[in-house]
Amino acid sequence: MSDSKNLDAKTHGVLYIGMDLGTSRTSVSASNGVRETVFSVVGYPKDVVSQKLLKKDVLYGKEALDKRLSLRMYKPLEKGVLKYTGEAKDPEAKTNLKAAQDLIGEAIRLARPRADELVYCVIGAPAEASVRNREAILEAAKAHVDAVMLCSEPFSVAYGMDMLEDVLVVDIGAGTTDLCRMHGTMPEEADQVMFDVAGDAVDAELARRIEQSCPGAQFTVQMVKEIKERWGFVGDAPEKCLVDLPVDGKPTQFDLTDQVRAACSVLIDPICKGITKLIATFDPEFQARLKNRVLLAGGGSMVRGLDTAIEKAMRERLGGGKVVRIEEPIYGGANGALKIAHDMPAEYWEQLK
Amino acid sequence: MGGLKDSLRDAIRQLAFRTSLDRLRKQGVKQVNVLGLDRIIALIDAAVHTSLKSRLVGADREVVADATKAEFLRLLRSNEDLQREKSEIEKLRERTQEELDALRRELAQQQSALRVRLERDDPGAAARWQGEDAAIARKVAAVVQELAAAGEAPVAAAALEARLAELVMDVVVGERRAGESVRKQLADRDVAMMQQRIEKLSQALAVTEHKLQQVSSQRSLDAGISSIYREVQGLAADDTRAEAKKGIMAAILAENLRLQKRGTD
Repeated sequence: MSDSKNLDAKTHGVLYIGMDLGTSRTSVSASNGVRETVFSVVGYPKDVVSQKLLKKDVLYGKEALDKRLSLRMYKPLEKGVLKYTGEAKDPEAKTNLKAAQDLIGEAIRLARPRADELVYCVIGAPAEASVRNREAILEAAKAHVDAVMLCSEPFSVAYGMDMLEDVLVVDIGAGTTDLCRMHGTMPEEADQVMFDVAGDAVDAELARRIEQSCPGAQFTVQMVKEIKERWGFVGDAPEKCLVDLPVDGKPTQFDLTDQVRAACSVLIDPICKGITKLIATFDPEFQARLKNRVLLAGGGSMVRGLDTAIEKAMRERLGGGKVVRIEEPIYGGANGALKIAHDMPAEYWEQLK
Repeated sequence: MGGLKDSLRDAIRQLAFRTSLDRLRKQGVKQVNVLGLDRIIALIDAAVHTSLKSRLVGADREVVADATKAEFLRLLRSNEDLQREKSEIEKLRERTQEELDALRRELAQQQSALRVRLERDDPGAAARWQGEDAAIARKVAAVVQELAAAGEAPVAAAALEARLAELVMDVVVGERRAGESVRKQLADRDVAMMQQRIEKLSQALAVTEHKLQQVSSQRSLDAGISSIYREVQGLAADDTRAEAKKGIMAAILAENLRLQKRGTD
């Protein structure tokens, strides 16, 4: 895409892509109306036989998960950032970086760009990703687009909703939860909080509880993730979580209501602590307004009852507060990044080409 | 206007799909409504003009109508470009497929020739020698019988025959070994060359198969979906927070330029 011949031919339009590069899922929203999401996993055939059988050099997302027994699997992101970016000489680190590049390429392909259009992309990265990590993401993306920018993930959520003043965004991903307060300008370091209690921590807690309470039940991390996504809730149970798990090869039904509730509840306390910290250090005159404008975003925000549970905890700690879940938790970051890409002036893009 | 009508006609033809009456019947369709191309074009034309007439006046209307037609033709042309690119990829795939078939045929021929050669070389020699041995023995026996008929003692004649046969066979075996060694060397060279050729063909086959796989996957890529934007947009002038957003954009750019600079240092 970057050769001169193609650049010369790119006269038919400008495609903006907003990307949320996440530990669990990577989502894209584009200015041609395409919105897609893919699990952030990449698989390479283990040997020539599997390569011939699969007829592909690389598989992504659900397809890779389905064929994982024939593949060397890579999950290039961990806790919201690229793995191993510090030790690039290590062969495993190199392959991981290649997996990240391939994943970003696949996400761009999912946006279905035309060969003759300029592609400008904004990628939402975790608020506290290291400089080395940001460089690695930029490097990975450059191979597939004409110009690329990074921006803080929770910031892009707020920008997408046009809520730039006195808003506190809580973006619950798989690897990290990012909190960011907005006050009309670019957020600084003091405006952001990040911790690693997020979707993966819920999965680990749920797996531990199932192991303890369901003797003989066999399950994988992927199965636990699916249970959480299907049933995840906190507070009063909307329904019983009746799940079939194999015991000695025989599907056996378990009631996991209490386990799911307890596992999902691990999110509440750290989020409330983060909210409290950001509100307590904000201009006192605007604290009341800020705590009444808390936005929940990211895949983790789909846990049912989480907004109410956080409001309840805020009442106890801060004397009140209002939490709103954004309409499209999976695409919130990508939509915001798309809006930033759209609003970025032409001369800025030119400087990054 | 004629150009636009032709382009519209072509576009409708390209976008339409063909089906048969049998297939429609299978789907339970008994009657179809037919709308001619000219009628569709006239309807689009009328709709555009009516819409423009209700919203614009005089010169504006003409300018917008011309710009719309120009944009429509541009989109058609860009689609044609993509179609051309697609057909080039298709041609490349066909060429690669032909190359692959030729390589497979040649490989099969070479393997078959090698098999024939190996089969011919091995058991043939022993059978041929047995025949030659018998002929030599018959000739030696005939000479000895002629000598016996001339008055030699039968016992001496038998011993002579055996001795003579032994001497002749020594010479013949020596000659045969020398000849066989030369023939074997030649055969070995031929076989080695054939094996090398087969190995090269197998490698070429693997490379071509990989190429075909790549071209096929390339072919499966669709032409993409056009962005709704023709040009870079930027902040809307009437955005209520334009100033604040400008500052934010500048900050994002500065941060990214810093990152890029670090990357290139």
